[in-house]
Amino acid sequence: MLKLDALTYHHTNGQSQIYEFSMHSKTGQITGITGQSGSGKSTLLDLIAGFLLPHSGSLTWNDKDLTPLPPEARPVTILFQNDNLFDHLSAEKNIAIGINTSLRLSAGETKKVRQALNDTGLEGFGARRAGSLSGGEQQRVALARALVRDTPVLLLDEPFSALDGETRATMLDLVGEIAVKYHRTVLMVTHDERDCSAIADQHFTLSNGKLHRV
Amino acid sequence: MSSFSPLRRFGISFWPGLAVGAALLCLAGTIFAQIVILPQTTTVSAALDAQIWSILRFTLFQAALSTLLSIGLGTALAWSLFHQRRFPGRGALISLLSSTLVLPTLVAVLGLVTVFGRNGWLNDLAEALSGHSFGAFLYGLTGILVAHVYFNASFAVRGLLHRLEAIPAEKFKLARSLGLTPWQRFKLVEWPALKGTLPSMASTIFLLCFTSFAIVLTLGGSPKYNTLEVAIYEAVKFDFDLLRALKLALAQLAVCAFLVVVASGLRASSSAIAQARTPSIWGEPFGARCAQLGITGFCAIAFLAPLAAVLIDGLQADFTKLFAEATFRRALFTSLVLASASSVFTIAIALALGFARRNFSVPGRIPASWWTPVVSRVLAFSGTLYLAIPSLVLGLGFFLIARQFAGPLNFWAVIALLCANVLMALPFSLAILVPAMEKTALRFDKLCFSMGIRGIARWRLAEWPFLRADLGYVAALAFCFSLGDLGVIALFGNQDFATLPWLLYQKMGSYRTHDAAGIALILLALTITVFALVPRVFAGGRDAET
Amino acid sequence: MTRITRLLVTFILASFSIANAQASDKPVLTIYTYDAFAAEWGPAPKLKEAFEKTCACTVDFITADSSIGALRKVQLEGASTKADIVLGLDTNIAEAARATGLFIPHGADQAKLDVPMSWNDDTFLPFDYSYFAFVYNSEKLKTPPTSFAELANLPKDFKIVVQDPRSSTPGLGLVLWVRDAYGDKAADMWKKIAPKILTVTKGWSDAYGLFLKGEADMVLSYTTSPAYHLIAENDNKYKAAPFSEGHYLQVEVAGIVKSTKQPALAKKFMQFMLSDEFQDIIPTTNWTYPATKTATGLPDGFKGLHVPAKTLLIDGKTVEENRKGWIDEWLMAIGR
Repeated sequence: MLKLDALTYHHTNGQSQIYEFSMHSKTGQITGITGQSGSGKSTLLDLIAGFLLPHSGSLTWNDKDLTPLPPEARPVTILFQNDNLFDHLSAEKNIAIGINTSLRLSAGETKKVRQALNDTGLEGFGARRAGSLSGGEQQRVALARALVRDTPVLLLDEPFSALDGETRATMLDLVGEIAVKYHRTVLMVTHDERDCSAIADQHFTLSNGKLHRV
Repeated sequence: MSSFSPLRRFGISFWPGLAVGAALLCLAGTIFAQIVILPQTTTVSAALDAQIWSILRFTLFQAALSTLLSIGLGTALAWSLFHQRRFPGRGALISLLSSTLVLPTLVAVLGLVTVFGRNGWLNDLAEALSGHSFGAFLYGLTGILVAHVYFNASFAVRGLLHRLEAIPAEKFKLARSLGLTPWQRFKLVEWPALKGTLPSMASTIFLLCFTSFAIVLTLGGSPKYNTLEVAIYEAVKFDFDLLRALKLALAQLAVCAFLVVVASGLRASSSAIAQARTPSIWGEPFGARCAQLGITGFCAIAFLAPLAAVLIDGLQADFTKLFAEATFRRALFTSLVLASASSVFTIAIALALGFARRNFSVPGRIPASWWTPVVSRVLAFSGTLYLAIPSLVLGLGFFLIARQFAGPLNFWAVIALLCANVLMALPFSLAILVPAMEKTALRFDKLCFSMGIRGIARWRLAEWPFLRADLGYVAALAFCFSLGDLGVIALFGNQDFATLPWLLYQKMGSYRTHDAAGIALILLALTITVFALVPRVFAGGRDAET
Repeated sequence: MTRITRLLVTFILASFSIANAQASDKPVLTIYTYDAFAAEWGPAPKLKEAFEKTCACTVDFITADSSIGALRKVQLEGASTKADIVLGLDTNIAEAARATGLFIPHGADQAKLDVPMSWNDDTFLPFDYSYFAFVYNSEKLKTPPTSFAELANLPKDFKIVVQDPRSSTPGLGLVLWVRDAYGDKAADMWKKIAPKILTVTKGWSDAYGLFLKGEADMVLSYTTSPAYHLIAENDNKYKAAPFSEGHYLQVEVAGIVKSTKQPALAKKFMQFMLSDEFQDIIPTTNWTYPATKTATGLPDGFKGLHVPAKTLLIDGKTVEENRKGWIDEWLMAIGR
């Protein structure tokens, strides 16, 4: 279980703002978080992913304190709205880099990459350069990488906002499937309530630096 | 609407620019004719040809090596500065590095000699610490390379750092959460971003090093390390062998033309806006941090020490004696007048060319027809003439003209110097002004056309307020380029007609080190003052962009 | 715009003439020479004073960074040159200077001349002479090389400073010295000497300045250079290294420029050059031998100097015929 207990952060860039986050999410659960832009959605994800350090409070995964861990050691994978891929590498390598950063893979690991490609609907796309893929395909590759990384928590930072309506709907369905098949705890921040109502098991809104359950 | 004539409407902004463009091309044609067509001599000894080949080979070799080293060190420093955001004095260091563009070459050379020369600070220190000296490594090829890297690596840093700043923050978060090593991060995130700008940057640096004159003249040390530009100078000043000078100039022109054509194909991929950054809370791995701090520290010291040397040595100079010298006062006066004049001319020409050019690039102005590509090509090319005709070749051309038309040599010297300085500042000025002018046109064309605002009124309302900061920068740039230039003046300089850099060169040559240090300090102070002050004056008290 | 240019040029030129305007309307004799000659410590200030007492004129020494540079300056300026006299050429470059057609006869009586070669030239007149030699600091260098052959075989970190034969008469003298001593093998000798050359300077004073700053072990100068340190600085550590191949003679000369507007004054100065007053100033300012025997004779410091047993000299015509070829050969040998 991912648990945030009075996790506080003081934003001092520009106007100062105090955030205090409390929530928990069970394994396999999809949590949707909505809020206006600037309400602190990215701050929340940055705190969980380890790009920011909280000033007080606790952040635990299955009762293990995550705050002293650097980003790469946390059981977390984060997906951004864009810039998730290395454009000059192939789709396959972009996924493989999630397993081994030097891109040296065992036979078993290569199979795992293939499996992830299949599970995200990317059969036959493996050799394509990431930069040549469409926006939706790129996010699928990023999702596939999240699958091979075997981190139980998946953070989605407005992952589909840049996509058109239809692609977006299929991508949301895909996230739903993955959460079930791979037992991922998913935290998805979005500015669109409909994204949440489509797949989320629980739904929070973010305002005045606090999470409110809907 | 059928009687609407775009040419009549935009004529006022079009004809002056075309006239200036055509005049510049005519100038180039005349110089070219002086060098290529007029001398009807084709019989030249094989020994001379062999020498020209050998000089050309060395010129290309040192330019290639300088470019490689400059880009290498520039990349390392940009990378280090990018990751060490809390390095003390980081901001000041970056703005100082980007100011080398206007730093007078000889001032830096003098500082480099004081620090790295055989009896310089470095050797004193090494001898005190280890009893061993590095010797006279600042002569010859090493000296040329050190000075070229000093100027061009710092020139490269600004552009490269800008590229790194434009990388989306997500890429670095991604690298972090994947646990990439600094080397993997460099390969996957930073290098792809830098790669796009390298060909055009490298070609610019190569061209600058290929046509390098003052550095090779002062640090080359012996004829073994001549570049074509210095060989032209020596052919005129030492041998008075004009045929040899022409041959060399021809080789220089041919290679430059080739390089310019190649370089024009290497456009930098469009750069994105720099992103706001907060330093990563996890910091860099220990090894990388050591490397970054080491590189930044080393570069900061290596870059600042020569400037400090100029300051320290300069303050010991006897300024009363210096100002009492008539030659010095005249050189100071000449330099200031020439620099002001070339600043004014550069702005006038850049504006004329810019106004004419935007008629073709901004939609809704002069529509494309059979003649527009030709004219816009003429306008674009006339602004980059300097790259194709290096200043010594230009000087030689004027020198030949001066010999044909009676009249005082000093008169032609003034014209040659002004031309060379304006042409040198023009490519940089246009690169700054043209995009800004296109932007004001895009923004205000419809408003101005519909309300009938034109001429002076339009300039006052819709151009000047938006261009003044850039104009100030261009004015300062042109002034400083001219003030610090040692090129054409080396051919024409004499006791009656001297500029500060020429006088500095004379004093350095005759080992009047105190006077030289004093002049260098004055040049440095003038450059910094003008570069800091003029853009502010133009910007009208508001903070100028630099 | 052209009007602005013209205005500006007029303005700049006017400012020069204002700055140049001389207070008196005495005639001005303009002499182009090399920098060391016109330096504060050189002969020029004393010569100026001495000549101005007799001529009711103003003498104006204008320097080029080297002796040949002074000649090139006159060539560059063409008909508009201000030079009345070029002073500081030597026998090796005199033929090239004569070929420019820029010089006219000096008209001075040459009977008094006392130089180590026969002299009869109505265009160029000698004013001093000396022998080229490498000068070293005997406190730092205990065993100097005694020949080019020995110099060529010294270790690589032994450094000498020489002058460019295209711009400086000592530089040209050295090329001729090696040529005269080694004939067709000169290029081979240069290839062996090349690694020892720290740098090639434009003129003598650059090179000597570098040497005194300790940048090099030896510098190309004159057998008479140590006299300066002996007499002016009371310091005997600087010595000229005797070379067994012999030493090349340099006779320095002056000539009157054709376009001079003061021919009579210029001729008077040429005559003055051979006077005792002029010649007595030369040894202790230019640190060379005078071109005539004066009543006072040589100062003491000169007596202990090394006088070469064997004097080398290639005649001017041969030099002029081969100068370019030999210089090209030198350029190639040292790496061009």
